[in-house]
Amino acid sequence: MIRKLPKPLDEPRVLIGASALLAIVVVAILAPVLAPHDPNHQDLLQILVPPFWQEGAEAGFPLGTDGLGRCVLSRLIYGARVAVIVGSVVPIGTVLLGTTIAIVAGYFGGKIDWAVSRTVDVWMSFPPVVLSLVLMVGLSPGLRNVILATVLVDWTRFCRVTRGAILGVMKLDYVASARIAGASHVQVMLRDLLPAVFPIIITLFSVEIGIAVVVESVLSFVGVSVSPAIPTWGSMIADGLVTVFQEPWGLAFPVSMIIVTVLGANMLGDGLRVRLDSHHATRLGADL
Amino acid sequence: MVGDTRFVSLPSADARLYLGAVRAAQIVGGILLPVLRSIATVAVQLLAVSIVAFVVLRLLPADPLAMMLPPNATIEDAERMRHAFGLDRPILEQFWIWLVQAVQGDFGKSIQSSVPVSKLILTALPTTIELAVFGLLLGIAAGFVLGIVTFHYRGTALERVCETAASLSQSIPEFLWGILFILVFGLGLHLLPFIGPIDARVIVPSHTGFLFIDTAWNGQWDAFGNHLLHLVMPAFALAMLKAALIMRLLRSSLIETYREDYVNAARLRGVGERRILFHHALRNAVLPTVTLIGVQAAHTFGGTLLIEAIYSLPGLGNLMIGAIRTQDLPLIQGILLTYCGMVLLLNRSVDLTYRWLNPRLRAA
Repeated sequence: MIRKLPKPLDEPRVLIGASALLAIVVVAILAPVLAPHDPNHQDLLQILVPPFWQEGAEAGFPLGTDGLGRCVLSRLIYGARVAVIVGSVVPIGTVLLGTTIAIVAGYFGGKIDWAVSRTVDVWMSFPPVVLSLVLMVGLSPGLRNVILATVLVDWTRFCRVTRGAILGVMKLDYVASARIAGASHVQVMLRDLLPAVFPIIITLFSVEIGIAVVVESVLSFVGVSVSPAIPTWGSMIADGLVTVFQEPWGLAFPVSMIIVTVLGANMLGDGLRVRLDSHHATRLGADL
Repeated sequence: MVGDTRFVSLPSADARLYLGAVRAAQIVGGILLPVLRSIATVAVQLLAVSIVAFVVLRLLPADPLAMMLPPNATIEDAERMRHAFGLDRPILEQFWIWLVQAVQGDFGKSIQSSVPVSKLILTALPTTIELAVFGLLLGIAAGFVLGIVTFHYRGTALERVCETAASLSQSIPEFLWGILFILVFGLGLHLLPFIGPIDARVIVPSHTGFLFIDTAWNGQWDAFGNHLLHLVMPAFALAMLKAALIMRLLRSSLIETYREDYVNAARLRGVGERRILFHHALRNAVLPTVTLIGVQAAHTFGGTLLIEAIYSLPGLGNLMIGAIRTQDLPLIQGILLTYCGMVLLLNRSVDLTYRWLNPRLRAA
């Protein structure tokens, strides 16, 4: 199936989105080389230095310093690390959990489907931000728990969309034929159902990258994410908001980084949806 | 003859009784039953939600008491306190006690401040409701206007500009919009205030807790305007996503509706384009948008948390953040349920509104 895909890179949105995300990954990996300072080093004689194009800038701090005299550029670069880890692990976890439950529910239907749907309903009546904050209270801070909390909040969106698609596919003859031909439940789910919803999963996956990064910054912003010793874009926003009257750029930079990440992920998702959906439609059309 | 008399008397008392009974049955079947069913559903959902909330908060290894004990407290002190708050009983018993009290409107006392949780929530709720309603109304208004405008100018450059703006406005999360607005309109252009719900020097005697209502009640129109200015940016931050979604959906359902025969039929009858749009097409095209607004209303409510934190508004969101920082379990639980209750109620009321707006569903 993968071989038959039209080159998704033809789509400019895919190209731009993927490049933006890739650039952030490279920055995160090369952080120790790129960052001019230790991100936690406090130079209390150089607090709230403005970025280089403004008066009073210091050569050593291209993007200035925050209220504790820490280098904003270095913190941005190191902050990319948490964003990259969260933005890559959370979507994988969400896909695995959400899709598995959705396929099982859609395939077996009946009581299992009913139970799954009601669980999703109840889960979704918690506002996502509120639920993730509350989960973090119980789980105690730390990168692993941030990932766990985000997956536990976001799997429902995957589940709902994928289950709907599975129900559509279940009506098609080839699923019944596969059963008649002697395929086991697991075989049908993996070979017939999973490929049919693959384009949806890929699209949701890309969008989830952005959502995961945003959720982590929200948790950091409130102060219940990773330990304060690890720089994150969200904690930079919280710090920047305190000193916003003296030095607004300390707030503008991390906000821009999150926006670039989210826009990159959404463009990638949009582009892939266009590419993969048309392919999916023609393939289904040929089958019918 | 007998048949005749019956026929003659039919339009009178009997018939009215008969028609009345039919009408009553329709009202019961069409309006009352769905309302009752909705209330029952919300009750069941709230129960499920409170079980989840209870389990999440009590089974996870947070220790709410550790923070309130003095550093020199002995283990016996800790046990005494645990006993005082009922935290040493079996989890099911704790839940039952909590549930019985919660049904009576008693969510316990805040561990941190010893003030009843329900009182804290009721003090904070008006701010959150004002913000959410204002944000939602802005979003709906902007979405409708833009939806109709982009539909009217479909295929032009204006539509493409609006479309790009919408996808941008949809991509950036609310709290980042909030910060961007502060940077641009608050600090850059000095156009709008952005700290607190109203200038600190203004004193508003409270009647309802809703600042809009209270200022109007007292005739403090300056303060009313001041509060409005303070809420403009937070409300816009909440409205960005809604406006984009509503605009897109309304435009596409208008396009779909215009393909229906009755639009052409109206045109053939000589009905003006303006009348076709506002009296014929919009009435049907608006239905999917109503559903969307319902989902978004619930979403707006959850979104207020961070906006309140950014703009220092004393609503549920800031109360929640404070409770989370001090691990104040009864308070967290109470606020969590308030959020969910609002979301569920909003979802249900939208369902009912939809039923009322769409006669095809009412008959079913």
